[in-house]
Amino acid sequence: MGDLGMFFALSGAVLAALMAGIGSAIAVGMAGEAAAGVVTDDPSKFGKVLILQLLPGTQGIYGLLIAFITLNQIGVLGGTADISLIKGLLYLVACLPMAFVGLWSAIRQARASVASIALVAKRPDQAGKAIIFPAMVETYAILALLISILAVTGVGGISI
Amino acid sequence: MAILPMKRIHIYALLKDRKSILELLQRFGAVQLADLEEDELFIKNDITDSKMQTERDLALAEEALAILASHVPEQTSILDSLKGKREISLDVYEEMGSKSKEILNTAERIQNLDKHIAECTAEMHKLQVQMDTLAPWSRMDIPLQFQGTRSSSALIGTLPGEVSLEEILAKLADLIPEVEAVHVDIISGNKEQTNIFVLCGRHDTAAVEGALRTMGFARPSASASNLPPAKQKAELEAEYKSLVQQREEAKSEIMSCSDQRDQLKFLIDWLHMKLERLETSSYLLESKRTFIITGYIPKREADGVVSALQSRFLVHLELEDPDEDEEVPVLLKNNKFVESVDGVLRSFSYPGKGEIDPSSVMSVFYYILFGLMLSDAAYGLIITIVCGLCLWKFPNMESSMRKSLRMFFFCGLSTTFWGALFGSWFGDLVTVVSTTFFNKTVTIPPLWFEPIKDPMRMLVFSMAMGVVHLFAGLALKIVQCVKEKQYKDALYDAILWYLLVGGLLVLGLSSQQLIDILNLDFILPANIGRIGGIAASAAAIGVVLTAGRESKNWFKRILKGLYGLYNVTGYLSDILSYSRLLALGLATGVIATVINQMGSMGGRGIGSAILFIVVFVVGHAINIGINLLGAYVHTNRLSFVEFFGKFYEGGGSEFAPFGVHTKYYKLKEETNNG
Repeated sequence: MGDLGMFFALSGAVLAALMAGIGSAIAVGMAGEAAAGVVTDDPSKFGKVLILQLLPGTQGIYGLLIAFITLNQIGVLGGTADISLIKGLLYLVACLPMAFVGLWSAIRQARASVASIALVAKRPDQAGKAIIFPAMVETYAILALLISILAVTGVGGISI
Repeated sequence: MAILPMKRIHIYALLKDRKSILELLQRFGAVQLADLEEDELFIKNDITDSKMQTERDLALAEEALAILASHVPEQTSILDSLKGKREISLDVYEEMGSKSKEILNTAERIQNLDKHIAECTAEMHKLQVQMDTLAPWSRMDIPLQFQGTRSSSALIGTLPGEVSLEEILAKLADLIPEVEAVHVDIISGNKEQTNIFVLCGRHDTAAVEGALRTMGFARPSASASNLPPAKQKAELEAEYKSLVQQREEAKSEIMSCSDQRDQLKFLIDWLHMKLERLETSSYLLESKRTFIITGYIPKREADGVVSALQSRFLVHLELEDPDEDEEVPVLLKNNKFVESVDGVLRSFSYPGKGEIDPSSVMSVFYYILFGLMLSDAAYGLIITIVCGLCLWKFPNMESSMRKSLRMFFFCGLSTTFWGALFGSWFGDLVTVVSTTFFNKTVTIPPLWFEPIKDPMRMLVFSMAMGVVHLFAGLALKIVQCVKEKQYKDALYDAILWYLLVGGLLVLGLSSQQLIDILNLDFILPANIGRIGGIAASAAAIGVVLTAGRESKNWFKRILKGLYGLYNVTGYLSDILSYSRLLALGLATGVIATVINQMGSMGGRGIGSAILFIVVFVVGHAINIGINLLGAYVHTNRLSFVEFFGKFYEGGGSEFAPFGVHTKYYKLKEETNNG
């Protein structure tokens, strides 16, 4: 049964990287299309729209982060890999906030980013405010990241 | 915290001095003009014509500069944007200004030359097409539109596809057996078409042409010249050559103008300044001999401008304090440490009417929070050194750029500080390198603790930081209220909340349950907790009674009060929002660790050392970029939403004086907007 525990723990790590990564890839792609449209019109706005494009890319990084911490905890990256079934399931559950919130918040953030890119195209002087709208969405990805970090590091300390 | 006091200035002067006075005001750059009402005597002068002329000249100069750049590209580098504008002295400015007509002529010449080049190119293309159509006929020694003699008729044209002489003759014999005398010559041919010359008796013309047409015969479209094709082609070639030469000459002439690039740039600036002067006319009231300007001027500039105007011109000046309800433009003056966050504040909004300037408190927290989010000592040092070098090397930089770089300089210092406290130097670089390559474990111990090993402690610290930030915002609310003498508001909207939130915190910290969750190593005595609870309850009652105080109806007032108390959840989410300090800090550290680990996978040896260096440079460069962006965005958010939400609304308009707004040069005189 110990092998199965490892399987679930690894699934958690992979899901976090996978779903958050997919979300960010879609999101950065969406924002990139909008940004490219603005740059055809006015190349000088490149710097501003690039920042807006990058904003929804962070979920993928958070996913990677959770995956990495989990891999480290369960000993896939060197060390002893001995995870009980229940512990493996706990790791899987601990990774889920980042996986799901990462996926959805990235896409939703991308829509805010696209709108903000349109804002910057029309009123470049308001770039400071335009950055805030997508950043609001990111808050929830950060909260999910936080819970996943605390949970994953916490599970390591439980002896079951 | 300083919003500069503004004065209203009225200038009454003679019309003959108008240009000189406007030029002087422009160079001072200290007056923001304001609108005036027209009356019977004083009217606004319509200068649409000269404005349009200036705009045309400006467009011409800009086009000429672009043409010049396309022929002789300018050497540029990324660092150029840091160099700022070149300074020129007033003498040079005036000397160059007097030459503006000549420079404009140069611009026009460049534009004409460019037009000429385009025309030549188009003409060359046309000639090329003509030469191509003539090429197959070059063997023929009679002109293409040769019709024949008195008794014979010539048909010159093409047949589709490759056809041999026998085939043509056979076909003709088939179609028109009655015609006897037909001479056919194949001039040239290829797979697509065969070019033929057909001669027949004049009375047979219609029959022969009809037969040929059924075979797909078509006359060539080429020229009306009555020279044989070969000669005609030679003529075209000569013409083509001369066009090539003309084009080259025009090109080299444009290139010879490349030394006038600086003059063109000057002209563009000069015209921009002229345009800005002309635009003031919408604020200027003129009578037959006099004119009036009115505007806002910072108090500290007023004396200088007044004395400069009075010593040079016959003017009457009035300075007065703006009215209470006037929307006065805002100009901030702070020391360098505080002023650097100006760009961030501006991107939110400048202080509105009667508001305090939040820069000083905001800047301190900005630097601290930014450092906490990036929190890697080595990254901080890199940012500090890069920004410091740029600031030192390019003293002439634009002031807004300078402020931003200085902001990141301080942010870098703060990042270094927190990074050292948390023991992060490129993540765990030292440990990884020493174990992988030197077989020895060396670690740089954190001065305080490592967040990744003790995330709960970091979370509590982050939220404590948040409480301090929010309470500082409330303190500014009190300052704001006191400044406007609304002492009651200070009590109801700030002090009650201090008691409520503070009391709840104290109560919480005395409960064993919360202490266990937060993993704290101290607990407040139960007595103090009880006092906190009592204070919080009293404040809660206060909030219910006062939050809806603008309603006269008591029932409504209590309802609004209860809704106001609900705002306590707002404080909870505000505090929780600071958990991003932990999350972003960890993100930097963990990604750095991942990079180091990936780099060290090769083990020991030269090859893996090279691999390590490559992974190290690329990986950490990306990590700095991403986390710098993250830290910037989220520090802005914490400042704008959580901190400003407690006391600051903004909505003021920035002081935008009539001045010198150029692209390439700046005057070496005293100007306030560089």
